[in-house]
Amino acid sequence: MNTISKRAKILYAIVAVCLAGMVFLGITFCVHGDEYASNTRNQHIYSGNVLISGGRVLDREDRVLTAVMEGRRVYNEDSVIRRSTLHVLGESGYIAGGVLEQYSAELIGYNLLTGVFTATEQGGNDVRLTLDAELCADAYRAMDGRKGAVGVYNYKTGEIVCMISTPAYDPSNKPEDIDDNEDYEGAYLNKFLYGQYVPGSTFKVITAACAVENMPDVLTRTFHCDGEYHAADGTVICNDVHGEVTFQQAFNQSCNSVFAQLADELGKEKMTATAEKLGVASSVPVNRSNTTKGSYDVSSASHADLGWSGIGQYTDLVNPCNMMTLAGAIANGGTARLPYYVDGVYSADGRLIQNETSDLTRTYMSASTASVMKNLMRTTVTDYYGEGYFPDMEMCAKTGTAEVGEEKRPHAWMIGFSQREDFPYAFAVVVENGGSGYSAAGRVASRVLSSLWDSMF
Amino acid sequence: MAEQRKTTRGSVYAADTPRRASSARRKKHKNYIPPDLEIKKGKIREKIGKWFVLMVFLTVLELAMDLSALNRLTEEELPGVVLLFGIYLAAQWVYYIVAGLVLRRRMELELAGFLLSNVSLVITASVYPDRLRTQLIAVIGGILVFAFLTWFMGNVNRVTVSRMPIGIAAVGLLALTLVLAEYNNGAKNWLYLGPLSIQPSEIVKVAFVFVGAATLDKLQNTRSIAKYVIFAMVCVGLLFLMLDFGTALIFFATFLIIAFLRSGDIKTIVLICTAALMGGIFIILYKPYVASRFSTYRHIWEYIDAGGMQQTRTIIYSLSGGLFGVGLGNGKLRHVFAATEDLVFGVVCEELGMLTAVAIMIAYVLFLVYAIRGAKYARSSFYAIAACSAAGMMLFQAMLNVFGVTDVLPFTGVTLPFISRGGSSMLCSWGLLAFLKSLDIRTYPKVMRELYQQKERI
Repeated sequence: MNTISKRAKILYAIVAVCLAGMVFLGITFCVHGDEYASNTRNQHIYSGNVLISGGRVLDREDRVLTAVMEGRRVYNEDSVIRRSTLHVLGESGYIAGGVLEQYSAELIGYNLLTGVFTATEQGGNDVRLTLDAELCADAYRAMDGRKGAVGVYNYKTGEIVCMISTPAYDPSNKPEDIDDNEDYEGAYLNKFLYGQYVPGSTFKVITAACAVENMPDVLTRTFHCDGEYHAADGTVICNDVHGEVTFQQAFNQSCNSVFAQLADELGKEKMTATAEKLGVASSVPVNRSNTTKGSYDVSSASHADLGWSGIGQYTDLVNPCNMMTLAGAIANGGTARLPYYVDGVYSADGRLIQNETSDLTRTYMSASTASVMKNLMRTTVTDYYGEGYFPDMEMCAKTGTAEVGEEKRPHAWMIGFSQREDFPYAFAVVVENGGSGYSAAGRVASRVLSSLWDSMF
Repeated sequence: MAEQRKTTRGSVYAADTPRRASSARRKKHKNYIPPDLEIKKGKIREKIGKWFVLMVFLTVLELAMDLSALNRLTEEELPGVVLLFGIYLAAQWVYYIVAGLVLRRRMELELAGFLLSNVSLVITASVYPDRLRTQLIAVIGGILVFAFLTWFMGNVNRVTVSRMPIGIAAVGLLALTLVLAEYNNGAKNWLYLGPLSIQPSEIVKVAFVFVGAATLDKLQNTRSIAKYVIFAMVCVGLLFLMLDFGTALIFFATFLIIAFLRSGDIKTIVLICTAALMGGIFIILYKPYVASRFSTYRHIWEYIDAGGMQQTRTIIYSLSGGLFGVGLGNGKLRHVFAATEDLVFGVVCEELGMLTAVAIMIAYVLFLVYAIRGAKYARSSFYAIAACSAAGMMLFQAMLNVFGVTDVLPFTGVTLPFISRGGSSMLCSWGLLAFLKSLDIRTYPKVMRELYQQKERI
């Protein structure tokens, strides 16, 4: 029997494999447990695709954006707040990348030891945002039914205080014709974080930065605009005949001829390098989201195409949040505090469980370039737009009117920031087919920032 | 010190009682009598007091589980379920009175089997109260099979004589299944005899271990080796034709265990594995539908509502339970197809908690450790091989089940021994447990006494 019993010891290998498998499974559960357990298929906490268990989502003033009551998900009582925070909260299966999806494990309060107990028996945890729901509602009203995106953030701390995407619908009363009605086209996308738009003249910020960094004499040069820029192989049309202009005047007046000429002179390599450095084609991490990348690809562009690319047409695409961050970077001396909108996770009794604030930074340009850019954007407001939209705010800004096809009105853009130490906010506004950047997007920006100003002073 | 170590290697028993026999005698009759026995005047007595205490403890534990299973039952269901739980408790005490008190047998394996079976009963009661009666009949049937097989294997001659008929019957049963059965969930492994539905492969599992251990005990010539290999390959082949790959794999693993225990030839085992691997590759190349059965392996989250449905739900709900579970009756996995059979591990995790689930896994591990450690004291190689391969089979099957539903291994749809609902599976589990029981010489006091007296004479 000794032979057999010695041989039998090899069966300890099966025991070892079994224990190894259990350890492997245990590790898998530890690492991915919260993700798996908070899957929308989990009917302890989801009904259909709706999280029917777990805690609330609060704005920075502790307004309840959404909560669970009697096994149903309910939203804020104000229908405008419901619409304006729709994309931030997200709707599982429809609007991706929202807080309810990305923070479901935290809302549920899942942990390996108690399973879904915290969610089903104790109401889960709360997620607090840095957003101000009233400000979002103001932005939503300012958009006045037009499609687009608005974002405002504190460029010193990174807190996003306003972020909306339109069109939006009321999550407590979802329209039945949502899939057929043209007015709701694009309602399932958070355009601020995940949209891509033709930048139009707001791209001149990037071309200007490239010129400032690569052409030592650009600030003292004068240019001539006769209504178009004649490249070697085509022409770029300007919106006006600007005549003799300095670099600063060209920027203030958004002269296409000059910026097309600059892009052509700078060449593909330098333009691409600056676009890369200024984050056009990269994404910004915003809590658990990564913004959609834009694109700047002039690899097969002609001289005229390169000119067009320098004024934000050709194949250029940008993301609104990236543009807001770029404005924030200029405001902050070349280095941006990256934006975030989730402040933290709190237990039902108000204890901070998990801090979600971000202190990430990204350097976009040198401090000296930033200071030149700041001056360009400031003089655009003082010398060209006038301060009527932003009284006392010491606003620096750049608009854009992006052509999007023959038949359609152009997209209206505005990006900018306040220079004031006590009002450190940067913003980006896009109004789809809004027409003129200054009158359409500018008005929305004016309304949102004035509302923010009034709440502070 | 050196002397002591030498004797220890021969036998624990001999080391414990060096005065009993000379070293020459020890060498000749080593290992027949295990330690911790009271042997007085030729009589062998087991200390039985502790089994009573453990029975009381078991009863309390089962009562607690039974009570929690009553949660959410309707008023019509309640009396029937309570009655059936009562019958089960009574049956265990009857077994204890007969086996423990009258026959003065040890009870450790039975207690483990009772407790594991109770898990299957409470889950059945909670999910399908109307099928509890069938499940209880299966458990009691299993205990009877266990008792019968334990008795049957007490006599080596009976084992030797019966191995051939049992082998032929096993192959016949599988062949009959292949001919008569219809495809059911992708495999052809159910026989319907009037109201009775049985899974013959489960019953053949017991026969497979029995024939394997019994055949090899005798054989020293190549013909009987060949006969056994043919028997094993026919069984595995028939299971393959039924598309019951999980069970085929279990049989194959058990065949490897038996072949190695007997021959000790690792080279042959490697050779067989290589051949099997090549055969497997061949099958996958020429029969792509076999591979397609496992296409979702490690991709279950991509096919969350299709091929990965059962596995993802098992994982989601297992995690939802936490360490202590959401409580019987409060689970959600129970609504998923095959929840109380293939996915029962997930139901245990979700409703009874991960601690209970781990304890169940540890039980299978301990069965195998028990067999490996006990092999030293077996009175013949049949008992050692049978116990080790039965316990190995059970653990291997548990691993296929648990790791299959959690996507660590491909999902093959095999049952979890003792826990999955189903008569054939329950009978098989108790049948395999009988091999462990027969390993212990103390199960057969009469045989042991004879051996002991023989030894004393020498």
